[in-house]
Amino acid sequence: MNDKKIDYEEITKLVSFLEEKHLTHFELEVEGFKIKISRALPQVAAPAKVSVPAPVPQPDQPQPMTQAAPAVVLAPDQFQYITSPMVGTFYRAPDPASPAFVEIGEEVKKGQTLCIIEAMKLMNEIESDMDGMVAEIFVENGKPVEYGQRLFSIRPVEV
Amino acid sequence: MFSKILIANRGEIALRIIRAARELGLKTVAVYSESDRNSLHTILADDKVCIGPGRAADSYLNIPNILGAAEQTRAEAIHPGYGFLAENPRFAEICESSGFVFIGPQPAMIKLMGNKSLARQEMKRARLYVLPGSNEIVQDLPEAKKIAKKMGYPVIIKAAAGGGGKGMRIARTRAQLEEQFGPAQNEAKASFNDPSLYIEKYLPNSRHIEIQVIGDKHGNVVALGERECSIQRKHQKVIEESPSPFVDDKLRKKMIKAAEDAARHIGYQSLGTFEFLVDEKKRYYFMEANTRIQVEHPITEMVYSLDLVKEQIRIAAGEKLSIRDGLEMSGHGLECRINAEDPVTFSPSPGTIDFLVLPGGQGIRVDSAAYQGWQIPPDYDSLVAKIITLAPTRPEAIKKMQTALEMTTIVGIKTNLPLHLAILSDTDFMEGRYDTQFMERFQRKNNNNQK
Repeated sequence: MNDKKIDYEEITKLVSFLEEKHLTHFELEVEGFKIKISRALPQVAAPAKVSVPAPVPQPDQPQPMTQAAPAVVLAPDQFQYITSPMVGTFYRAPDPASPAFVEIGEEVKKGQTLCIIEAMKLMNEIESDMDGMVAEIFVENGKPVEYGQRLFSIRPVEV
Repeated sequence: MFSKILIANRGEIALRIIRAARELGLKTVAVYSESDRNSLHTILADDKVCIGPGRAADSYLNIPNILGAAEQTRAEAIHPGYGFLAENPRFAEICESSGFVFIGPQPAMIKLMGNKSLARQEMKRARLYVLPGSNEIVQDLPEAKKIAKKMGYPVIIKAAAGGGGKGMRIARTRAQLEEQFGPAQNEAKASFNDPSLYIEKYLPNSRHIEIQVIGDKHGNVVALGERECSIQRKHQKVIEESPSPFVDDKLRKKMIKAAEDAARHIGYQSLGTFEFLVDEKKRYYFMEANTRIQVEHPITEMVYSLDLVKEQIRIAAGEKLSIRDGLEMSGHGLECRINAEDPVTFSPSPGTIDFLVLPGGQGIRVDSAAYQGWQIPPDYDSLVAKIITLAPTRPEAIKKMQTALEMTTIVGIKTNLPLHLAILSDTDFMEGRYDTQFMERFQRKNNNNQK
């Protein structure tokens, strides 16, 4: 490789190449020049094993974005579930007159109350254990829940 | 009568209670841990609620979740089975104060009998013979040594809150007492969250014989003939039979009357068992009372043609005792406890049952929650099946048991089937000559034969 800097067109080509060959990560280093491109996989599919001229490390997990950033699509297993720690009755609001603690699509912070589970006349506040977005609510207000039952799915916030 | 009951237990006893409830026309609610998702009681009950993870302390001992489940499913009564919360007076109390009937005796009765030391004192007042021992909790080793010296060695150290052989140690000398006291205290603390110990005179050549009592809420009490439970390993029963080959009519009548009087004295209102030690001279001493259904209840049901669990549920619903006084036994009942354990080392052998054939035929009863393909969870006891035989005479009941066990096939886990077959063909066992030391002698004999 010569001293000439890599241009926009060549980067675009490289990105297309990665996509075409289903690669997730590409690194090239020569004297005075270094490029790193990685992309997230749209689905949880094993990275295709393709031989390329340069030594290309193939990590098992998608790497955080550095440059080129195609849209992020989370696989189902990247949702986190909030499950019931007890047997009781599920309430979405602190009392019937109040609005629900959270709605689908809402951002939540770690430690924020998501719902109440009433057990033995005691109101137990269930908190989110991560920052993220409420993706789904599995139980209807006022319904009984058992231990381990899924209550919410949360899409964690990107770090 | 209730219309729906919750069973706060698992395994074969949960299944036993489901059967009784169904026969009475009641709906059942199973509670289960995450490890018991595919267990038979979970599958066969009308309703089910998951109450926690595999660890018993967080599921089958989780009182709020069990009561939550009862509330959700609108159960009216709670059957505790045996083990877990069956003899926890606080649980019985909370059930009642939350508006559920506890299918068992009054909480105060569980409390009284649960404290082995208080129970001894009360039984003395009921004029039962009690073994010489400490009347109060033994606080420390110096006190233990003083008491032991007074009554003479050997002595047995027991957990005041105990049961199931936990915290139980035999000391034949002062040195052994010094050695055993601490570990017994630790075991009692670990098992019952109460390190209190008491000491009793130990009778080496005695038999463990127990009497079934049943009382209702109208003041009626009846007692039934004995179960012989001397075949024990480390205080865990292995084989039980009824009647005992050692007990004659005269002794049986005396023991039945004594237990019945004692149960009446304390106003007992459910199913219970009085355990006695009987020495070579046929003198019997009260050991402890169990305020629950026993594992070995089927042998009594077999020889008396009764259903004790149905009776227990009916009594809890306020019905009068239906069992007449003075019933006679008919035939001989034998029970073998088949455990998932290594027959030589006795270590538990959890795993998946790949292939299973259980015995059947006339006079055979199998109480089991096992099925082919079932993965036995490692979180609980190792009981896989209770195989029970009934025949007109003892030799016939033994022969029937041998035949049944020989036709039993369990593949995938190790079981103590070979141990049972060896005991059943032992000369001393066949002749009914045995006491609580039988298993020790039997194992010594077998080890020598192998050398």
